[in-house]
Amino acid sequence: MASRPTVTILSADGSASGATHPLPKVFLSPIRPDIVQTVHTGMAKNKRQPYAVSEKAGHQTSAESWGTGRAVARIPRVSGGGTHRAGQAAFGNMCRSGRMFAPTKVWRKWHQKINLGQKRYATVSALAASSVPALLLARGHQISTVPEVPLVINSSVFEGAAIAKTSGALALLKSVGASADVDKVKKSRKLRAGKGKLRGRRHRQRRGPLVVYDPEVDGKELARAFRNIAGVETSSVFALNLLQLAPGGHLGRFIIWTSAAFKALDLIYGSTTIPSELKKDFLLPSPSVTQADVGRLINSSELQAVIRAAIGQSRTKRAGVQKKNPLQNKQVLLRLNPYAAGYSKEKIGTKGLDAGKPERAAKTPFAKVLKED
Amino acid sequence: MTHHSSQVSADLIWEIARNQNSYLVKRASSGGVRFSRDPLNLTNVHSRKYAGFVNDKAVGISPAEGDKGGVTLITKKTKHPQRPGSSVNKVTFGGSKTTRKTYKGIVSSTAKSGYRSDLRAEAVARASAIRLSQTPKKDAPEKKLRGSKAKKAAAEKDE
Repeated sequence: MASRPTVTILSADGSASGATHPLPKVFLSPIRPDIVQTVHTGMAKNKRQPYAVSEKAGHQTSAESWGTGRAVARIPRVSGGGTHRAGQAAFGNMCRSGRMFAPTKVWRKWHQKINLGQKRYATVSALAASSVPALLLARGHQISTVPEVPLVINSSVFEGAAIAKTSGALALLKSVGASADVDKVKKSRKLRAGKGKLRGRRHRQRRGPLVVYDPEVDGKELARAFRNIAGVETSSVFALNLLQLAPGGHLGRFIIWTSAAFKALDLIYGSTTIPSELKKDFLLPSPSVTQADVGRLINSSELQAVIRAAIGQSRTKRAGVQKKNPLQNKQVLLRLNPYAAGYSKEKIGTKGLDAGKPERAAKTPFAKVLKED
Repeated sequence: MTHHSSQVSADLIWEIARNQNSYLVKRASSGGVRFSRDPLNLTNVHSRKYAGFVNDKAVGISPAEGDKGGVTLITKKTKHPQRPGSSVNKVTFGGSKTTRKTYKGIVSSTAKSGYRSDLRAEAVARASAIRLSQTPKKDAPEKKLRGSKAKKAAAEKDE
């Protein structure tokens, strides 16, 4: 690459501020949905709280089996008399008021350990995917009014807690063309199906943009300004979380950067050769191919020079054409039976009527030659 | 090039997004059909060739806004793929224009100018279908009465 690509830094009204910043190296790291998905599945499990049914459930009775010979199943039965409960089956998972099958235990393995290298790989992968407009569209973000991806807003906009109110945050989102995505979230809010409603997850809604800032430069007030806007999340650039960068394990979260946070990325992640300053023993992963465009690879002069010519004719096989009757279509007949050309030219088919009797073999010149010997 | 990095190609994007994306519509009917809601998809079929959000060059045709009919041709600009705000060209062919001229305009600004000639027939077919849907529908002819109902109606008329 001749020159490193640069990203425009926007001012508060959504126009280019004139300043640009070279694209941080983290955006060139390989995009690996497989790694992101496995790491996301693991990380999503790490917020769970243990639950289980009571240890005693279904076992608070002194039931014993009646054994054989009573013409009833050998399941334990509640002892005693004088109540309907007596004689009823107990304990089994198939019984009314019995214990459940394989009662859940609080010592289930709730949390997953994920290797740090994999977590870091997934994070940089998700960051790289967040700079591809096609992947943002595939995730469902409304970015048709966004001037540029990655979207970077000048940190001077946030200076001195300038954006501390939701109204200011909304106006900023509108001016940078992100309001369509916020509106989408607002419209998407639905009542959750099932028991989750009773368990603090009453509604479900889409995810909007993620605002990433540098708390040292931008201050923390902006988090308060954005926190009541549906779907909008904020995160410090030093504490990026894969659950926010790739919700559901799907790549391509729409991220709004402050310029200070954007500049910090090179410091945080380093490059493929310069180690990160904040992460111990971390180099950005290198992509396994430098050219991922398959069509371009195939059509490159290097490849074309060494491949052999394609086998077969240039004639394409026509699938699904109408079958012609060779008895009626002469061209099809000739293709099947080359003799037919001479047959019809010599009119052999009509000769039979007036050709007379066939020549006797004994009278042919060949027979004479035979006799001479 | 699709992106500021040559490591991100349309092929890669397709492999990442082919199994799940916001445009994909899956239905269990007809052996599990897969359609696409992409505005830049001419056939609404979920496939690499027609996936507008994936390909560098893509053509979309939609009904023109307003109630005057016509179609809008949408094409993707290739120069600045990182700028989604200004990434599409829109040209509207009005409803009063003949369909032939509309098709000619669509073909000459796409297939004939080196822009996705493989989508020529699909583009014209979609424009044609949209224009056909915009023609006012004729009322069905009044039903002729048959049998005893016809006799009754005739008798009533005579009175």
